[in-house]
Parts: sequence; C-alpha cells; structure tokens
Amino acid sequence: MRKVALRGLLARKTRLALTALAVALGVTLIAGTYVFTDTINSSFDRIFSASYATTDVVVSPDDEVEADEFGSLDPIPASVVDRIDGLPQVAAVGGSIFDQDGTILDGDGDPVSNGAPNFIASIQDIERFETFDVAEGRLPSGPDEVALDKSTAKRKDFEVGGTVDIVAKEPRKTYKVVGLVQVAGVDSYGGAGVALMTLSEAQRMTGKEGQFDEIAVAAAPGTSPAELRVAVRDAVPETTYQVRTGEEQAESQTEGIKDDLSFLPTALLAFAGISLFVGAFIIFNTFSITVTQRAREFALLRTLGASRGQVLRSVLTEGLVLGAIGSVVGLALGVVVAKGLKAMFYLVGFDLPSQGTVLEGRTVVVSLVVGIVVTLLASLAPALRATRVPPVAALREGVALPESRSSRFAFPASIVLTTIGIALLVVSLVAIEDATTGLSLAGAGAAATFLGVGLMSPKLVGPIASVIGKPFGGVTGRLARENSVRQPGRTAATAAALMIGVALVSFASIFAASAKETVSGFIDRGLAGDAVIQHQNGFAPFSGTAATQVRAVPGVDTLSGFRFAQVRYEGEDEAVTGVDTTTLTKVYNVTEGGELISALRPDEVAVFGEYAEEKGLKPGDTITVRTTRRPELQLKVAGTFEDKADLLGDFVLSNETVAQDIGASRDSYLFVKFDQGADQRETREAISALLKRDFPQTEVLTADEFKDDQASQIDQLLGLIYALLALAIIVSLFGIVNTLALSITERTRELGMLRAIGTSRKQVKSMIRKESMIIAVIGGVLGLAVGVVLSIVFTQALDDLVLSVPIVSLLVLLLLSAVAGVLAAALPARRAARLDVLEALAHE
Amino acid sequence: MSPHPSGLQAPTASDLVVAHDLTRQYGEGEAAVHALAGVSASFPAGEFTAIMGASGSGKSTLMHCLAGLDRPTAGTVHLDGTEITQLDDNRLTELRRDKIGFIFQSFNLVPVLTAEENILLPLSIAGRAPDQEWIDRLVGIVGLQDRLTHRPAELSGGQQQRVAVARALASRPAIVFADEPTGNLDSKTSEEVLQLLRHSVDEFGQTIVMVTHDPVASQVADRLVTLQDGLVISDERVTPRVAATH
Repeated sequence: MRKVALRGLLARKTRLALTALAVALGVTLIAGTYVFTDTINSSFDRIFSASYATTDVVVSPDDEVEADEFGSLDPIPASVVDRIDGLPQVAAVGGSIFDQDGTILDGDGDPVSNGAPNFIASIQDIERFETFDVAEGRLPSGPDEVALDKSTAKRKDFEVGGTVDIVAKEPRKTYKVVGLVQVAGVDSYGGAGVALMTLSEAQRMTGKEGQFDEIAVAAAPGTSPAELRVAVRDAVPETTYQVRTGEEQAESQTEGIKDDLSFLPTALLAFAGISLFVGAFIIFNTFSITVTQRAREFALLRTLGASRGQVLRSVLTEGLVLGAIGSVVGLALGVVVAKGLKAMFYLVGFDLPSQGTVLEGRTVVVSLVVGIVVTLLASLAPALRATRVPPVAALREGVALPESRSSRFAFPASIVLTTIGIALLVVSLVAIEDATTGLSLAGAGAAATFLGVGLMSPKLVGPIASVIGKPFGGVTGRLARENSVRQPGRTAATAAALMIGVALVSFASIFAASAKETVSGFIDRGLAGDAVIQHQNGFAPFSGTAATQVRAVPGVDTLSGFRFAQVRYEGEDEAVTGVDTTTLTKVYNVTEGGELISALRPDEVAVFGEYAEEKGLKPGDTITVRTTRRPELQLKVAGTFEDKADLLGDFVLSNETVAQDIGASRDSYLFVKFDQGADQRETREAISALLKRDFPQTEVLTADEFKDDQASQIDQLLGLIYALLALAIIVSLFGIVNTLALSITERTRELGMLRAIGTSRKQVKSMIRKESMIIAVIGGVLGLAVGVVLSIVFTQALDDLVLSVPIVSLLVLLLLSAVAGVLAAALPARRAARLDVLEALAHE
Repeated sequence: MSPHPSGLQAPTASDLVVAHDLTRQYGEGEAAVHALAGVSASFPAGEFTAIMGASGSGKSTLMHCLAGLDRPTAGTVHLDGTEITQLDDNRLTELRRDKIGFIFQSFNLVPVLTAEENILLPLSIAGRAPDQEWIDRLVGIVGLQDRLTHRPAELSGGQQQRVAVARALASRPAIVFADEPTGNLDSKTSEEVLQLLRHSVDEFGQTIVMVTHDPVASQVADRLVTLQDGLVISDERVTPRVAATH
C-alpha cells in the first residue's frame, strides 16, 4: 500500500510541487524568523562578550527601571570611581561614556541612520578595558578628534583625515576623523553608529561632565571576578547601581536586547501562522479533489482486499511525504529569507546586526514538525472520505464519492463558527487586559471567523460568481462562469484561501486609515500651537538644549516640551509624561484638568481619569513609584485629567520632576506658538535654520506636516505588514493554480470536444483566465467583506479609534485580486490550450 | 459510376473532400505502425458515407485526417477546395469551426450548458448569430422542443446524442463527421439517431462521413468504404435502409 501512495505522488509531480510549496512557504517564514532572530541575538552576544572580555567587574546604572522607552539610564558620578579605586582587590578602575543620544551626520548634514541609534563613546583610559580595535588610523587624542565605526564610515564615505559633524546634547560640532574601529573583528557595532571620543570630550558632548555611564574594574592578582564583585558591591551599596562581573554584564546586555526584540519573533511567527493556515486550506482542497478523482482507484484497491485503514494510511502517507518535502524546502528557503527579512527591516528603519547564519536545532525541529503536522491535519478529512468509497464503485462509470454525513450540518456550523469567531474577537478586545492572552484569543477568533466564512462560502460562490461574471460576454465568459461554480465546494475552498490574505490586507489598510484619521483628529483637537519640533525619525527624544535655543528665535512666543518617561508603579511600567506646566495650556488643549496640570507642584502628579478610577486613586492620595533614579519616589495626587488627544500618559509630572527624579532630560516633542504678529513662514524658517545648524537630527513641522509625518510612519508599518501578508496571498495563488490544473484534468475530454468543434486556443485560454479571475475575485469579495467586518469590530471595541474606510485602496485590492487570478491562470491556461485534440477526446 | 481501376472512385468536381495517398505512421523504424498505408478516397457533396473496418484498421485515423484533427505523415486532403494538411492550428480551428460538424461516440456535451446552449455552441464559439428559423427546424426534427432548457445530465443517452446531432448541424457545416455515433446507445435509440442522420442527407443534402463498426449502422449510408490494415479493401454503393416513419 505504501508503494501505491508513493507511486500516486510521483504520477502527479507538478501538483505535488505546488502543494508542497504551499506548505513550504509557511515553514519558510517560521524558519526564517528563527534564523533571523537567532542570528541577531548571537551577533549581539558576540559584541557584548567581546566588550567585556577583559573586564572583571562592571558597575552600571540599575536597568531594572528605565527612564524612558529608549533605555536612557542615569549616569554614575565620578566619586563612585574614587570609592572603588581605594580597594585592595582592585588593580585598575576606569569610567567611560557610552551614550545613545548622539547623531552622526553625513556629508549632506543628514543623520547617518534612520532608526538605529548612534553612540557617543569614550575611549578607555585603561587600555585593557577598550572594547574597540583600531582597524585604520588611531584612537582620538584631542577634543576635536573622533574615531568612527568602520561600517558607518564605509557606508557614508568617511575617511581617515576627513571630517565628520556630530550632534549630541551639545550642538553640532565638526571633528577630524583620525581612525576607524571594529568590535570583535566586525565592522558594525550591531548596526549602530559609533563615534569614539576622548573621555572629557564625550562627557562634554553628552552633558555628563564628571559622570560616567559605566565603570570597569580589573581585579588585582589573586582575586577572582566573583570576589571582586563582592568587594565592589560593599563599596557601592546603592541599589541604583548594579555591580556585575564582566561575564554577567555581557549576558544581561544580551538578554536586554533579546527582550527589546522579543516582539520580533512573535510578530513574524504570527504571519508565518497565517501563511500556514492558508497553506492548510490549499492542502485540504488539493487532497479533496485528488481523492475524488481517484475514487475508482480506491474502490479497486478495496475490491482487491485493501482495508479502510489501509486506504486511510495510503492517503495520509501522501500527506506525510508532502509535508516532509514541503518542510525541508521551507527550512532551506528560510535560511535565504532570513537575509531578506533583514533587508526589509532595514528599509523601514531597523538596522539589525546579523553576522553569519545561525541555524539552531530548535529551528529545524519546529519547522519540520509544524510543516508535517499541519499537512497531516489538513489531509485527514479527505483521507477519511477516501475510506468511504464502496468497493463496487470500481465497476461503475462516473462514480461519485458519498456525501460526507457532516456536510448537511456545514451551513449551520459555519454560522455558529463565524459567530463564535467574532465573539472571541470582541472578548479579546474588550475584556482581556493581558496583551499575550488577548492577541492569542484574537488570533483564534480570526481563525474561527475565516473557517466559518470558508464553510459558508459554498452557498455564496454561486450568487457572487454570477454577479462577477456578468461582464464576461461570449461563450467563453458563459462557460467560465458556469465552470467556476461547477464544484461550489472546491471553488469556495480555493477562494477562501485567498479570502484570508485579502481580509487581512483590507483589515490592515482600514485599520491604518482609521489610525491616521484618529491621529489627525488628535492633532486637530490637541495642538493649539503653530508648529511642532521632533526628531527626524518621528519618535526619538532629542537634546533639551534645543528648546532653550529655539525659545530665543524672534517670533517665538511660547515653547513647551513633552518628555516621555517611565516609572514602575505597583509592579508595572507606566507611561509618564513630563510637561512644561507654565506653558502647556497655551500650546496644547487638555480636555479637562488643564488648570490642574498648570498648577502642578514638583512633588505632585496628575492622573489620567480612567486610570485613577481603575487604581482607586483620589486627590490627596500619595503614591510611591520606582524610577531609574529613585528607588522610592513619593508623589501626591493633585487630581485627575482627561485627554481626548491622547498625548499624555497615565501620569503627568512637571518636566523638572521628570528631569530630577526620573532622569529624563530629553524632549520628544516641542510645541511652538508664534507671536501674534509674527510671519508664520519666516519664523518657521528661522527655527528650521537654527535646527539645521545645531540639531540637524530634528525638524520643525506645521500641524499639517506633523499629520503627514505621523501618517507616513503608519504607512511604513503598513508596508511591512503588506510585505508579510504577500506571502499568504502567494500561497493562496498556488491554490488557484492547483484547483484550475485539477479541474482542467477533469474536463480534458470536454476541452478536446470544444477544440474539435472550432474553439481556438485563444478562446480556451481566455475561458480559463476568466474562470480563474472569477475564483480570485470571489476570494477578494469575501475577503473585503470579512476585512470590513473585522475592522468595524475593532474600531468599535477601541473607543478612541475613528473608523475610516479607504474605498479606493479597497477597490484597488479587488482589482489586484482579479489580476492575481489572471496570473494564477497563466500556466493552467497554457496547458489547456496546448492539449492535443485527439488525445483529449480519448481521455477518460 | 464505374469503379476506378485502383478500386477507388475517381475525384470529380462535385467532391467535397478528397484524400490523396494518405499515410499515417506512428513511431519510427522497427516499431513503426502504419495506421494508414496509402489511402485515396473522395467524398461528393450530399452523400452519406460509412467507413467500416475492424479495430486497428485505420478507419478512425482516416476520419481524423479528413477532419483536420490529425496530420497525415504523407499525402494530401482537400476539403471544400482547401488543402488542409499544411494549415497551421489557427486555420485548422477556423476550418473545423466553419465547415465541419462533429458527432462523437460519447456525446461530449458541455454539462454546464442547457440542451439549447449546447446546440448553439458552435455558433457561439464563432460569434455568429443563430439563424433562428433553421435552429427551430432542427430542434423540431430532433424532437427536443420540450427539453431545451434541460442540462445533459437530465437527458437520456438517446436525447443527448440527438442534441449532439443538432449541434453538428446548427452551423450548416459543409460536412459532418460522425465517430461511432451509436456506440453508446441501445438498438432502439441507435436507430432513431441513424434515421436523423439519413434524414439530414435526404432533406438538406448534408454530406456525412460516419465511422462505425456496426454493420446495422452502416446500412443507412449511400456508400460503404471498408478499411483493413490501413488500406481500402472495398468501396461500394449501397441502397440505404430508410425507416418507414421518415
């Protein structure tokens, strides 16, 4: 029996290849995700291990609670070094700067990277602590000299002997490039730019005079790193500092990066799951069709004495082989795709390091197991159907498989499933707090909805096809329309696979359009000023010095900075917004409680209304939060506020408090109001010229430009999502190719007759193309419908989101699905047109 | 007409289809099979010819070559004045569409189309408007007035083949080729279909070439050509048996 299964597979090589590819593409993304993220992690691991290889103990600011989302930590005063220096276990100690707030500018005065940070690092006074190796030139020795990482230098054409402009907390300054450096033999420091300066210059540039970001300690002979750590800890007992051995520090840094990037595998695997889900539809459909076509073969085997179990095993063996082949191919493709993922993330601003290719055992096991299990599950129902072929069918012409007993219940079941799916989605959105649980539940809800609509669609394909096919005139159009609904179940399953991709794409575009609309509304409602200053990448904070300088520009009336910081309250990281209390209400409309915030004292906090209710906070209460600078910071609740523009976090503090007690001194946004009589354009241009000169990493935008900028950030993310969903759509196109190919095989004799009585090859091609287009557009229509419903559910559940339906984009999507149908038809149509008329007429 | 010295009739001006020295070889060298080993035959307009022979005699191959479905290895076929063996696929397709009607053993109706749509199919393919009077007359003759909206699956075998006959005649082709038209029918419905064919020759002057191995079927023809091992072994006029009802 196994021979029968394998021979059966070999007899249908093209179909085998297409079906295996449907499995392979989902597995590709799984394997690609693992290879990609493992490679990133190992690259960081190498960098950090190399950085601390010669350091026995490291003292660094506590990173348990960060000052903001960008990982800013409070520097260590130089006095700590003195305390360590006196210890007998210490051979050497040195402080250094490693600040991520720098911006290296290229020849045109633009930042060299569009997402990855630029570090301002100091060279180590003690050579053994030096992380960087000189690849060319030398290390800087004066305040006007700098060494750059070789990767940035190569990318932006910096050479030893040339100059480079750098901005940090202090304004722009021109340096002489005296050297190019590497780390652990690699040109790039994990994708980030590095400007290496003398210690005092690095301290000045970053505003950390007399302070360090990190202190490295070397043990005296006879002292182990662990013993040294204990000694240093005794000398530096403050909980705001961490004392770790070099090895521990490297591990902790790697773990930190892994944590920061943990969204990456989760998000990518979700897309892999979508592709696999679509692939499962294809496998199910292909097996259903082949089992139907081979009904006589199964009957014959049964007549010859094969048991039902043997028939079942024979079909499942096909599934197993197919799954295994698909998974292996997917695994191999995954290694290639990992590089593609890196390129894709680079395009949207994530420059992630990947040195070499890391293929872990887990990647292989997960890829193979998932691919094979999904294939087997998808082929189970068709295999069971094959066992129900009665032996007598072998002797009869044109045998039909018995209707499965469950098909009667398909329609009611589809309605139940769809309802459950949508209910799950609603619950996940409204009632679940935990993000992971919520997302898994939403995923399950979406899957149930897709299955439900898929089950329902055999009833829908007829009416939809007759509407879509209406414009197709002539006999080819008529035949295409009829052929597409000849086997409604088959067409439905094929279209449903495409439906999933289209639904998610339309959901994403509706969601993005709604987000843009919402943000635009926020800006309209919130922004009372004339201009906004922000980092060019739209999200990073920038030096607080910029505010001081812009305030002096003629025509500027008021300027108010927003700082986004983080505190830990009741075990959770909570978003804190630092505001300039004296000017806030002049540039920003606080819905309710603006006066309260304006009167906020340094030891007071204003709490977001809903959050205060949830936590039971009332005016006059005192809360204790932990910040990167203060283990226990007491704040008095001044009152609550409402913020329809959604800019302010759960806690609002004065900027002074945020700077002093949290250590966040950088602004994320500056809202600017001009003098009454000032010329808007002139003032803006004056600000722009100042920023271009001293803080080129920032930009000044009008309210409309600010909206556009927000929109373009959403669009970038949307682009990434489209690219990942494209995979699922490609998989579903394979499904259309497969279904068409199988249907053409079934209709060979009919095609022969049509050709014999005078149908031209062109007409045959046109007929197949139209049929394919109808199937694809059915998928498109169903997908749009589901996508719109999902979007409505989401926007209703998230009360702040305004629903906006991008009609044109959705129509384009529908058009694209028709085009996809034509593409999918290319090969089957050619094959059908080339059929030899006589052979086709003789076909059974 | 006196028999030709070679045992074949000589071509005349009224001949619609003329095959000259047709050979059709499958395979090469030792394994070569000569399905046709040099067949010449002509088919005058308005004549009903039955081609008979055992399986493997070459009768189907001859019909396929005459109808432009297969290319002979050597020899020529003139159909209505056109030499067809060298035509490209597009020209052949047009020729089949405009000049030829086909009737197959297994009916070969399009299951998703109604009886009427099946009848009109050749015209639809050609993009020609049907001559409604002619179609009505055909439908009347094949007796399918009340079956026109049915799909093939709802028709009996005999009814299906009658639809196929009407389809073959719908575009008023110069010639109809019928390949074992009664092979899948019982004797009663076979007789009905054969009489339909006979009727179309008598009433409309339709030219028909029918391949069959059924001696009963061949009796409705005007002429009986018999093949054996790829050669014509007899070519005789017969008196067609006409059913009393027609």
